[in-house]
Amino acid sequence: MKNLTKKRPAFNWTAFLVLLLILEFVIFGGTNAKFLKPALLMTSANDFLPICIISIFVTFVMITGGIDIQVASIIGLTSIIIGVAWQDFGLNIWAAVLVAILVAAAGGALSGFFVAYCGVQAMVVTLGGSFLYSGLALLVSTLSSTESYQGISGFPASFRWITKYKVFGVVPFQICIFLVLLVIAYLLLHKTKYGRKVFLVGVNQSAAEYSGINSRRIIMSTYILSAVSAAIAGVILTSYLGTAKSDLGSGLTMNIITAVVLGGTLSTGGKGSAIGTALAAIIIGLLRFGMPLCFKVNTQYLDIPIGVLLVVVVVGRSLAGNPNVIAKFAKMKERFKGGSAKSGSAEA
Amino acid sequence: MNKTKKIFKAREMTSFLFLMGLFIIVGILNPSFMSVNNVAACFNTSVVYTLVAVGMAFTIFVGEIDVSVGSNLGFVATVVGSLLRDGANWGFAFTVGIIIGVIIGLINGWGVAIMKVPSLIFTLGTNGILRGMMYIYTGGAWVENLPKSFKDFSAVTLIGKFTVYYCCAVILVVLIHMALTRTRRGRYFWAVGDNAGGAELVGIPVVRTKVMAYVICGILSAAAGIIFCSRIGFVTSASGNGYEMKAVAACVLGGISLTGGVGTVIGAAIGAVIMASISYLLVFMGFSSNYDNAITGIILITIVVFDALMQRRAAVKNRRARLVARTAAGTAKEAGE
Repeated sequence: MKNLTKKRPAFNWTAFLVLLLILEFVIFGGTNAKFLKPALLMTSANDFLPICIISIFVTFVMITGGIDIQVASIIGLTSIIIGVAWQDFGLNIWAAVLVAILVAAAGGALSGFFVAYCGVQAMVVTLGGSFLYSGLALLVSTLSSTESYQGISGFPASFRWITKYKVFGVVPFQICIFLVLLVIAYLLLHKTKYGRKVFLVGVNQSAAEYSGINSRRIIMSTYILSAVSAAIAGVILTSYLGTAKSDLGSGLTMNIITAVVLGGTLSTGGKGSAIGTALAAIIIGLLRFGMPLCFKVNTQYLDIPIGVLLVVVVVGRSLAGNPNVIAKFAKMKERFKGGSAKSGSAEA
Repeated sequence: MNKTKKIFKAREMTSFLFLMGLFIIVGILNPSFMSVNNVAACFNTSVVYTLVAVGMAFTIFVGEIDVSVGSNLGFVATVVGSLLRDGANWGFAFTVGIIIGVIIGLINGWGVAIMKVPSLIFTLGTNGILRGMMYIYTGGAWVENLPKSFKDFSAVTLIGKFTVYYCCAVILVVLIHMALTRTRRGRYFWAVGDNAGGAELVGIPVVRTKVMAYVICGILSAAAGIIFCSRIGFVTSASGNGYEMKAVAACVLGGISLTGGVGTVIGAAIGAVIMASISYLLVFMGFSSNYDNAITGIILITIVVFDALMQRRAAVKNRRARLVARTAAGTAKEAGE
């Protein structure tokens, strides 16, 4: 019974997102046929791919009931570590990439440790983390002989290949990376024991703990996952732009959270899906690409449609579920009354 | 009740002692810091943070959050700045700014309290909308050439080296603190944040209190926007970016718990001074401003982790005491029977 009521809206939500995506194609494609050119669409994906990649893994964090706002600063940290390790420490470029990803994982583990084992609120820890890692990125950039505002460029062709190579001559390689990551995230979240544990920890941490799940380790692992995904996004972005900068991706936090929420993940935890987040991230990305192309909207105004989309969607959803909310509230009241009566009798 | 009051006090005292410690350490490392001018500058630069953080504190008290304060500040600064540039009189421009703040607060309050949308998400949305409206209003141009009298007013001092703005902010914070602790309605904010269901049952208007918190937050952010405009002297389309995070950080540094119901506005104000002084203090310690963010992050994480561990220890201690008391009562009862 509980399963049925829970499953239906989730399915509807994905359907709604697909509808929204189709609507975008119809509207943008109808206004400007250029929008439908595959080559152009594929190139536009480069601009929002980091959002897509990171948001599907931040979904894990939010399902456990946490939030991760440090991922954007990890993008810049990875980028600058790759640049400095390669240029100024003479590391092989792939070794530099590995070092950067390991550092990011360590950063995620640190924040995850504080959230899971010390019981600090996730928002505060990752807020501190966002200051810390963007600050570290800046410090790493001072180790370089290149001025930080210029960025480190001139990467070897093999590194640029990640974003230059096109599968079948059309699909950029980084889109394939995204798809592979999406499949991994989907399988991990919805088809494995680990995924079930992530959900259970989000629904009720003590219940998870009592049923023998090491909930702390699960929570910590989600932060590592999101940090590693941010590092991968950082590698792709560095390769695509051809420059390593410490402030890369600094404005992406809000976009990432928007994508996760729009994808149907509850910010209180326990509900969400990798596919939904990916769809939402693509919707946001296409909006950012289509608005300027088709309606000549200045790119600086793009915060408005995305903000409106977010507000309309969440308010609409809350309206739709209104009877539910009322029923839940009534139940809560009842339970509270029962609880207070009990404690009263105990005292008596 | 007295006991909880003491805890509140201890929490902000820790922040205050931390700030004093910071000043003293920097003073020892670099004696030239220890002048009235420098210490006053730390406080004076914090005025914008103080107002935003106190506004943010209200929304955190009721168990929510408002991440739209940054673009609220920026939008009001843009509007007020352009009005003043075009020769409007001060009273009119300020009134318009404050009204905008009220409207933003009402919208946020409507979404969060009445529509029951999670606050982080709703205010994230309004944040984007406001930021975009700022671009539309200015067309991406800077607001410059503000009247000199307005810019100079930010340097006018009232008491010693403290500016009029900072003095007003301090008086405001003290008044708000009195209103919160001494009146029934003031205490509603903590009650709602501590236990919304319970507050509803004892007859506290939860929805109205939450809307009120957002309106106050909007007004204070608007006031911060006006002062920002006066202090900086120009407004770009990125003005106010990131203030929401700094305000949350200031609240946390001031001993306010993000779960709601704990902390005071005075704590938020002290936290704001810490946030604002860090970059200033680093200069005196011989670090470049590159260390700014890293050190802010380390301080923030250290304080919250320390706080969480202390709270856990206290909780364990309390539970043990309760258990001991219960078993003691049980044995006494048995003995009585």
